Amino acid sequence: MAAVAEPIAVAPAGSESRRRWMRVAAYAVLIAYALLMFVPFAWSVSTSFKPNAEVLQLNWIPENPTLEGYVTAWTRLTPPLPRAFFNTFVIAASVTISNVVLGSLAGYAFSRLRFPGRDVLFVAVLATMMIPDPMRIVPVYNILLNLGLVGRGIGGYLGVILVLSIHATSIFLMRQYFLSIPRDLEEAARIDGAGHFETFWKVILPLATPALAAVAILQFQGTWNNFIWPLILLRDPSQWTLTQAMAQFRFTFQTEWAPLMAVVVMATIPIVVLYVFFQRYFVEGIAASGVKG
Amino acid sequence: MTGISAGGQAPSSLRREQTTEALAGYAFIAVPMAIFLVLNIGAIAFMAFISVWDWGVRAGPREFLGVENYVTAFEDPIFWRAVWNTVRYALIVVPLQMALGLFLAVIVNQRIRGQTFFRAAFYFPAIASSAAITVLFIFMMSPQGLFNDIRALVGPLDIPGWFGFPPNHSWLGHSSTALESIMILNAWTTSGTMMLFYLASLQTISRETYEAAAIDGAGPWQTFWRITFPLLKPGHYFVATVSFIGALQVFDQAYIAGGPDGSPNNALTTIVLFLVRNTVFQVDFGFAAAVGVILFILIMAVTLIQRRLFGAAPAWY
Repeated sequence: MAAVAEPIAVAPAGSESRRRWMRVAAYAVLIAYALLMFVPFAWSVSTSFKPNAEVLQLNWIPENPTLEGYVTAWTRLTPPLPRAFFNTFVIAASVTISNVVLGSLAGYAFSRLRFPGRDVLFVAVLATMMIPDPMRIVPVYNILLNLGLVGRGIGGYLGVILVLSIHATSIFLMRQYFLSIPRDLEEAARIDGAGHFETFWKVILPLATPALAAVAILQFQGTWNNFIWPLILLRDPSQWTLTQAMAQFRFTFQTEWAPLMAVVVMATIPIVVLYVFFQRYFVEGIAASGVKG
Repeated sequence: MTGISAGGQAPSSLRREQTTEALAGYAFIAVPMAIFLVLNIGAIAFMAFISVWDWGVRAGPREFLGVENYVTAFEDPIFWRAVWNTVRYALIVVPLQMALGLFLAVIVNQRIRGQTFFRAAFYFPAIASSAAITVLFIFMMSPQGLFNDIRALVGPLDIPGWFGFPPNHSWLGHSSTALESIMILNAWTTSGTMMLFYLASLQTISRETYEAAAIDGAGPWQTFWRITFPLLKPGHYFVATVSFIGALQVFDQAYIAGGPDGSPNNALTTIVLFLVRNTVFQVDFGFAAAVGVILFILIMAVTLIQRRLFGAAPAWY
């Protein structure tokens, strides 16, 4: 999906002054709405550096800036913050790798290889997008429980990773991208005697880096932020991810806003960094995929 | 077509080629299909099966109950509270998201400076986790939070004050405003996403259409209502579907703000929260499965009705 292309000028009716007035109004709305997007985050950063006595005051620059909030968050979170980061990262990275590998293989098969039942199977893949995650919690919890993938030890991680290991969006995005690559290249490779996997691996995949990046970013961000599956499948607090830890921290720390905001800031920073560097992929992935909650 | 490229070869080797290709195809999709079969499509069938039993955590089926779990759900006032909360939530959030998304998309789509910046800015809240956003929101909406501070600053323009809300109202602490606050929260975080969908849809309207309208002397207002709005029909369908399905699943924000009880006083008990409560906290799988089946039917019904209303489906629906 191309990012917003050529802007479309609305009909040039009315006088010049009226058009200028509308332009000013449009900018006013845009700037006001942009502020509405950023102010809450700025407020959380500001609050995270305030001592407890100051958190309810309406000053943007802390009078007595302190790292107290961060120290409390770092030491008193369950699990300890570095562990929560580790848990989140392990799960998000595994899910990302899995989606990139499985999504590109299946996307290639659905776009290039011909086999009986292909179209029906692809519709089935797309149909899974219509089954929302929360609805699956009872059966999935039961299935994973019987496989020993709920609860403690490595099994807890594996359960969450397995549930998120392949999303229809990953297959869909890869397939769409492969369809846009001219066939000539693979034909040449095939005539030279390369097998299907070799053609996929050596010829097509290197051309698909933008799509791979979009899938990776979408899945990493989605998993980093996922709430419901870690909540249901990770029964051991030492395995909790950041979102889980944050929710529990809020239940126990109630109104200790400085440490709460410190956790919010730290948990969000990695995603903000990703967004700043890979904004294009976020926007493309979302616009092309849609059905991610 | 890969098969045709092998056209010069003998028929038997062509057949072998086709078989190899088909086998490669199945091999490439095997793992994802197996996972989908067990954890998605099969899971729904399994849920329907569980819903007619008294189902033990490890014991599995204990006693066949038929429709009893469904009857229990329909007789449970908390279940109806959850349905009502969810439906009310969807009926307000969906139009709000669509209107905001369309409004932002149309403005951002103009010939303006900083288009990329505004688009990125409006999408910004959607990148953070629901957990982080909700904790931040709880802070802002607390009795002495930023929202009430701003109300005090604007004095006579304090709109909630006109409706009798005290200066230090606890927005998430009162059952009359808790769910409404979550509605605002979600409209805020998702407006950028809806804008992106509408922007993609706006790109499909050709420049010529607008030029023709301009030649006919249509003003911006007329152009929007007579041309842009009707031509965005596939976009409306898509955004409405995504937004509605998302709204019917609202959970994270309600859980983090109100805990497993949907406090205060079940004001934040949504269908999914009710489902999670009965799965993880009450551990009544048969009953929870019945609630899941009801939610599934509700979501399918909404999708079908929307398809009827908005006609042809885009892309992959």
